[in-house]
Amino acid sequence: MDSGADGGIAAAFRKGDPDSLARVYQRWGPLVYTLARRALGTPEDAEDLAQQVFVAAWRSRDTFDPERGALPAWLTAITRNKIADQLRARQREAARVQGATQEAVQETPTLAPDDLDQVVNRIVLADELGQLGEPQRMIIMLAFYTDLTHEQISATLGLPLGTVKSHIRRTLLRLRTRLEADGGTH
Amino acid sequence: MAHTDPERLALIALGEPGTDDGHAAGCPQCQEELRQLSSVVAVARSTPEPVQLEMPPADLWSRIAAEAGVPTEARGTNGSGEIHELRDVGGAGAAGGAGATGGVDGASEVGGVGRAEGVGRGRTRGRVWLAAALIVAAAVGAGIWGGVHALTSPRTTVVGQVALKPLAEFPQWSTARGTAVMATGPHGNQVTVTLDAPDRAGFYEVWLLARDGRSMISLGDLGTGHTGTFDMPPGVDLSTYSRLDVSLQAYNGSTVHAKASVVRGALPVSR
Repeated sequence: MDSGADGGIAAAFRKGDPDSLARVYQRWGPLVYTLARRALGTPEDAEDLAQQVFVAAWRSRDTFDPERGALPAWLTAITRNKIADQLRARQREAARVQGATQEAVQETPTLAPDDLDQVVNRIVLADELGQLGEPQRMIIMLAFYTDLTHEQISATLGLPLGTVKSHIRRTLLRLRTRLEADGGTH
Repeated sequence: MAHTDPERLALIALGEPGTDDGHAAGCPQCQEELRQLSSVVAVARSTPEPVQLEMPPADLWSRIAAEAGVPTEARGTNGSGEIHELRDVGGAGAAGGAGATGGVDGASEVGGVGRAEGVGRGRTRGRVWLAAALIVAAAVGAGIWGGVHALTSPRTTVVGQVALKPLAEFPQWSTARGTAVMATGPHGNQVTVTLDAPDRAGFYEVWLLARDGRSMISLGDLGTGHTGTFDMPPGVDLSTYSRLDVSLQAYNGSTVHAKASVVRGALPVSR
């Protein structure tokens, strides 16, 4: 469904179409910004990091190979790398300050790699949920976040049981594919 | 023995009671698929509610465009180069399946929003709102309740579901659609709202709207996924605050409704 539109954006980006970065940013800006925001904490750091990500993506667009993965997975990988760099820099700075003053300083917010994986997974999943059409989105929301059975979802939404079951399975597969491509675990 | 039906595996992964046929535990192939589906469910449920993506601040795009040396506006837009026009280009492109040609339509839609927000005065508005509420009430009466009442879930029970519809008064939202599902569970009543509407600059906010058509209580924001689950505020008289309303709010710090309603519907509550 949306993979067609996203694929068009990716192709234009690869070619270096000057308008394409705007479309890339419009489509995946919230993903990159939210990743940075949740991992780094402050809005200022998140804005700077998102800016670095999109500028770096634009400058190294030649290295984006659609054969090896989709554009959002590539952007997520760049974002992860820059987040990891930033967290390491914070740790070094904290250690330096602590070494200089010989006393414990207030804990700098940092994130262990496992936690970063979890953050990435959650946000990538949220991005993909946002791409679902209806009734797929409502069905999976009810399946995930309420205790309704598929029969109850079917009755609630007035949809045939078979439709609900097949949407649940297909949506789970779609989410799995996206998490495998972009997520924190491989 | 035959493999577990793939659709049943998905339900087992969701932990739905009574779906496990015992086969997967002894079958490496089904077990692997179940493990993969379960890991998706685990990520989704690692937060009690869906994660909402955050919109970057409006000026971030112009900073990126300046540093990258690309134009701040896409070809075909007419305007000021603001990122909300770019968003609209993409929205129109995605809807039409042809991102590269969506520019002009997107830009003109932005103009439409600006013009139409000034519309809507006095009694006309009240009548239109009333008509919309009656249409929704009729849809609810037409049979949704029967199915819903039969539900029995140990912890969470859906008590009502209703379509949220655009108002004739705001033609810029004529294609918007929404759904609200009310559930009651251990944490009280929660309403889950999903919205089908274009991405616009700003954010969608969900409100309880009183019968007088003026008093409102904000429930919260829909994220970029246009979906949210909200706790119903305790102590609010739902016979007075009887409707749900979704607005598009600008990032301007204002805490009042932005006037233009995107969709609206009767609050789905048990009676």
